[in-house]
Amino acid sequence: MLAALVVAASPSAEAEQPRLLVITTSPDLKSLVEAVGGDRVEVESLGRPEQDPHSIEPKPAQLVRVKQAAMLVKVGLDHEPWLARLPAVSASVVDASTAVPLLQTETPRLRAERRVHSHAYGNTHYWLDPKNAWPVTTSILAALAALSPADKTTFEANRQAFLTQLEARLAAWETTLAPYRGARIVVIHDSWSYFAERFGLKIVAAAEPNPGVPPSPGELAALLGRLRDSDVRVLVADPHSDPSLVRQIAGKSGVKAVTLLPSGRDYIALFEENVQRLSQALKSGQ
Amino acid sequence: MTELLLWPFVAGLVLTGIHVYFGLHVLARKVVFVDLSLAQVAALGLAVAILAGHPVQSEAAYWYAFAFAIAGAVLVALVRPHEGALQQEAVIGIVYAVSAALGVLVLDRAPQGADHIKQLLAGTILTVTPQEVGNLAALYAAIGVVHLLLRRPVMRASFHPQDMPHGLLLLWDALFYASFALVVTSSVRVAGVLLVFCYLIVPAALAGLLVTGFVARLLSGWMLGAASTAGGLVASWAWDLPTGPAVVAAFGATMALAALVFAIRRLTLRSSALLASGIAAIAGALLLAFPQMDQPWLDALETALPPLHTAFLSESERATRDETMQSITGAREELTRLRALEQDVRWNKVEMDSEKAERLRQYLAGKSELSAGDALVLRHLRGKARERQRYLVGLPLLAIGIWGLWAQLRRRAV
Repeated sequence: MLAALVVAASPSAEAEQPRLLVITTSPDLKSLVEAVGGDRVEVESLGRPEQDPHSIEPKPAQLVRVKQAAMLVKVGLDHEPWLARLPAVSASVVDASTAVPLLQTETPRLRAERRVHSHAYGNTHYWLDPKNAWPVTTSILAALAALSPADKTTFEANRQAFLTQLEARLAAWETTLAPYRGARIVVIHDSWSYFAERFGLKIVAAAEPNPGVPPSPGELAALLGRLRDSDVRVLVADPHSDPSLVRQIAGKSGVKAVTLLPSGRDYIALFEENVQRLSQALKSGQ
Repeated sequence: MTELLLWPFVAGLVLTGIHVYFGLHVLARKVVFVDLSLAQVAALGLAVAILAGHPVQSEAAYWYAFAFAIAGAVLVALVRPHEGALQQEAVIGIVYAVSAALGVLVLDRAPQGADHIKQLLAGTILTVTPQEVGNLAALYAAIGVVHLLLRRPVMRASFHPQDMPHGLLLLWDALFYASFALVVTSSVRVAGVLLVFCYLIVPAALAGLLVTGFVARLLSGWMLGAASTAGGLVASWAWDLPTGPAVVAAFGATMALAALVFAIRRLTLRSSALLASGIAAIAGALLLAFPQMDQPWLDALETALPPLHTAFLSESERATRDETMQSITGAREELTRLRALEQDVRWNKVEMDSEKAERLRQYLAGKSELSAGDALVLRHLRGKARERQRYLVGLPLLAIGIWGLWAQLRRRAV
């Protein structure tokens, strides 16, 4: 009788339980936390998809929310240098990169050459490989389950449902891009390595050897010379890319420029959009 | 080289043409920072245009920027008759700071524009198109003709404002700043704020040092502007540098060279000795006190005269140094060769199976790290030499410097 009462009472007790406030540094991570946390979490992102993730300036209201949060999820590595300036947080901090197999990890700490990659611990744009949603959501699941052990089963079920849906879509994206496997592309900024690796594309050069610093005439001339003489047909730009540089490269080499989105509010929709844009560009560039 | 740098050079000539003229006026009016201020107001206009939904490179965005710059120009013109109560430079500074802050606030609501505004302020002269240069040339020619026709009142307003009634002065100031706002808004789109500032101020200021008379200064300024542009573009090509900052640096180098020539002409034997003694004393004291800090003057000397370094190493250290330098030279040659091969593989010029290509990539990364390790060995040896140079070079240098200073000061006292 008593046990029945407890069981009967527990749903209403759960319903009254406040939702966990989770802060993420990027909208992509927000989407992934929502996928795992479902109704049990309230998630806010400090950054927006259109913002440069390296230079976000949090507002006072966001700082208050960070202080109230139970959990903070970050991309990690050295992707968010501004995060170090935030006041100390009491929330549990999840570094989403922990379990991710990183690319370009040989990025040197000691390299003698002038051109060093801007990220010292490997390429940080790992969420652009949909398969990395598996390790990222594993980290998120573990942290959420530690904060709310009673909801662990719900979180696991949510995660599984999301990954099942993602797996189905990933198969469709791979099918869409299958005709272009092995295609060589040029990027403006070196943020598409994970995406290219997943879909079998080969990035042969980045127009900005140091992100944000325009190429020198020598570098631009070398790139244009290589491009004219190659089978590369597509140039991938970011929304932040310098439009005049994109126009110059596309105009002088005849490649098709396409702008892909490095970040989005809905993780699956982000890939839907990028795969569609890229397949159209590759098709028209053939 | 010509294919990529021809149009940036022509753009530089067009910018020189109009900006040296305006620069002479701006210097006479003592409003050096008006250009930066109006450029920032124009950037605020662009930010508002972006918020209103216009792409940053659209015509609408340009007219927004121009309208804002005109408003800023009128404000600056209105202040001039009240210079006694409120300094024009103060207003220019306030306009700059407030516009920059408002720009940030506006872009916070339309963040996708922030990077484009940054790029716009930084400038992209390398990627300027012939059409952009043609448009600029036509616009600046028209402005030049207007100023030529109205030269008398415009010149009086800049160079002899005291001879003009207040009402007329306000009218001609408004015309001057309005045309200047149009020039700044248009130039910044192509060359960026820093470069436009250099075109405006550096040749005009240098011409002021070299010759007298408006026309002579204008002609000298044009030549200096053209030479600095050419120097910056060539340096950008030769040393593999981003073009806009390289041209700005060329303007800075021209200015520094001129300052050095002027300083040397004014130096007497005694002041040269004082200067040299002072430098020797400071360098010696720093080497003595902080031998492990960066000593670029000693690095440069050691590069030119290696025995200055090796004399402070033991025999075994010298052998290690020789071995390491050989290793670095060998690695550099090998890395250059293999990098070219890797590029050819990447671009499909050379066939290589993917496993071998990956091995090549990893080998390059590893070799590069090893080479960096060798560089650390040289650094370590340099540190050891510094500890010994501390007393054998630093102390005598300090003593010579102090003696030189003391001797010169004593001569003066006598």
